[in-house]
Amino acid sequence: MLCIDTDAKGDLASTLGSPPVGFQPRVVQSNVSVLTLLPEESLQEYLRIYFRVPRFARLTPLARIFDFIATGVPGAREMLVIGKIAYEEKQRDPDGSPVWDIIIIDAEATGHVLPQLRAARTMLELVKGGIIRSQVEWIDAILADPQRSLLTVCALPEEMPVVEALEFQARARRETRMHMGACFLNRVMPVTFTPRQRRVTELMAAESHAAALSEKLGGDVGTVVAGARLAQRLRENGEKHAKRLREGMAAPVIEVPLQVETRPGLATTRAVAAALLAEAGM
Amino acid sequence: MNQAEAVDLAERLGDREVVICAGSGGVGKTTVSAALGMAIVAAQEKRVLVLTVDPAKRLATALGLESMGVDPAPVPRARLKRVLGAQPRGELVTAMLDMKTTWDRLVERLAPDRQSAERIYRNPFYESISDAFVGSHEYMAIEALYELHTAHEYDVLIIDTPPSRNALDFLEAPTRLGDFVGARLLSWLAGPTRVGFRAMGFAAAPFMRMADRLLGSDVLEDLAVFVRDLQGMYGAVQQRAREVYRLLRAPGTAFVVVTTLEPAPFAEAEFFCTKLHEFSMPLRALVVNRVLPDWLRDRDAVAAAHTMLENGRAAAAISEVLGEKVGADVPKRVGEAFTLLNRLAERDNRQVSRLSRLGRVPVARLPLVDHDISDLEGLALMAAVLRGEQG
Repeated sequence: MLCIDTDAKGDLASTLGSPPVGFQPRVVQSNVSVLTLLPEESLQEYLRIYFRVPRFARLTPLARIFDFIATGVPGAREMLVIGKIAYEEKQRDPDGSPVWDIIIIDAEATGHVLPQLRAARTMLELVKGGIIRSQVEWIDAILADPQRSLLTVCALPEEMPVVEALEFQARARRETRMHMGACFLNRVMPVTFTPRQRRVTELMAAESHAAALSEKLGGDVGTVVAGARLAQRLRENGEKHAKRLREGMAAPVIEVPLQVETRPGLATTRAVAAALLAEAGM
Repeated sequence: MNQAEAVDLAERLGDREVVICAGSGGVGKTTVSAALGMAIVAAQEKRVLVLTVDPAKRLATALGLESMGVDPAPVPRARLKRVLGAQPRGELVTAMLDMKTTWDRLVERLAPDRQSAERIYRNPFYESISDAFVGSHEYMAIEALYELHTAHEYDVLIIDTPPSRNALDFLEAPTRLGDFVGARLLSWLAGPTRVGFRAMGFAAAPFMRMADRLLGSDVLEDLAVFVRDLQGMYGAVQQRAREVYRLLRAPGTAFVVVTTLEPAPFAEAEFFCTKLHEFSMPLRALVVNRVLPDWLRDRDAVAAAHTMLENGRAAAAISEVLGEKVGADVPKRVGEAFTLLNRLAERDNRQVSRLSRLGRVPVARLPLVDHDISDLEGLALMAAVLRGEQG
């Protein structure tokens, strides 16, 4: 598996227990590699592969032509991001099997990722011929093929993130040719009360009961019950938004329970992975 | 400053001309921006504009408005009076950034003449540039802010920055357009006309052949015309970038960093504060949103929750007090729910101790609420906390 970090902050590598990684894929866990996508490095690799421009020749006029195109043509810089991803998808071992079984991209925020996803379309509209057009065409074909690439969206069980996720879906449909694969609803409060449990909790909250229970159980039961009721209300509020998300999302909504992490890292990633496996019944 | 002490951010920020609310996505920047605007007009005779750049119309949601347009619209005073419990002293106006209009106005203002502006509008590259230009949301946010500031229609401008994972996008936005327009190779292309370029012969021919081979024959012509017209704006764009930076660094400008205490947004807030310092831009306040109540860390409660989880007789004790049979699942579920929030509260408390690293500025702590702030009533409660009235 290849995981690609697109914002060069090294967050993705750290969630997989690795120090920051560079542009070349590095194995960080068994069968898991990570690379950080940098447009400048992507440009250099492009020049090396397709035009045999060596790294030391970056200041030659030929290389500067590409600098010019990357700067001047709308969508070109985004294409360097999306093109690298498509290039990795096309990589094959000598026996013809794909180098990567799956590639997961940690994309930028929605405001930035849509220009990247529609960069191929943008360029196809502007560039009617030449080498770049044919290259953009195969990238566009990969993005449009649901057997090869899918879009997933992450949301939180809150009003505005849900609105944004649904708007993102609508814009992705309108502006790209990609298919929606799934929606991950993150930080779901993992607290559920049956109606009976809720009723008993309400009884426990009554002042006289809470005082008597505090005496019997050794501690402040009233505060414990208040905390449990707060968790319950947070869960119910989240459920309201989760329902709206499920109704509007044209893909399965997968819940990821809230993790009490102190910092993102491998332990949190493992906990989330275990939760996803549990959600899938595995 | 004692960070637990209630601070009146409205008083501290109401005398600024520009207030920029920054922070990572999902921390409540838009809601805080709207609440801050409400807090200022509640107490001061100011005309306050809250500008959102987000196409998701989050400010409209936060203000309980069905829709919101690009033209500034006042929040009715009667509605404000109802939720504030008193007549607001100032006027609250909201607007949403319109990317296309802002780009068009920018070109109109900075192009050397009307013909150049018209050519830019018609060029196919211009059609896509506003979205394709990296960081265009960030740039247009600052551009709109600058335009509004120079118009002097409002006493205070509050803007919530675009949700961006990279704070630099916002801070570097003013120079990016200048870099783009002024790129040396673009200048090279834009200098002569393309025909002239071809006439340059020996030196330029390999460039043209390669560019033609890569892009096709038509596109270079369009690009050359577009770039040449943009080049006409270069001096004005550079001047503009300098003026915008001057505004962002001015004493009348205040950056307010909004964060929650969750590790990822908090780390981004730390990063952003560091960058503000590097850019000599004035961090004036921190707003920590969704802070869990202290009582979740109560030791007696933790002891009781522990008993509920570990002591097999807890269910019997509850049954005895309530006078009905209660299964072991009830204390277990109640104990688990409390313990989860207790662990979150302990984590938040550790984060609070790190707040001073973000800067020696006033800190407002907005409590977690168990419902969405999506109406004026909710904003008014938040505004009261920002005014130091309750927490």
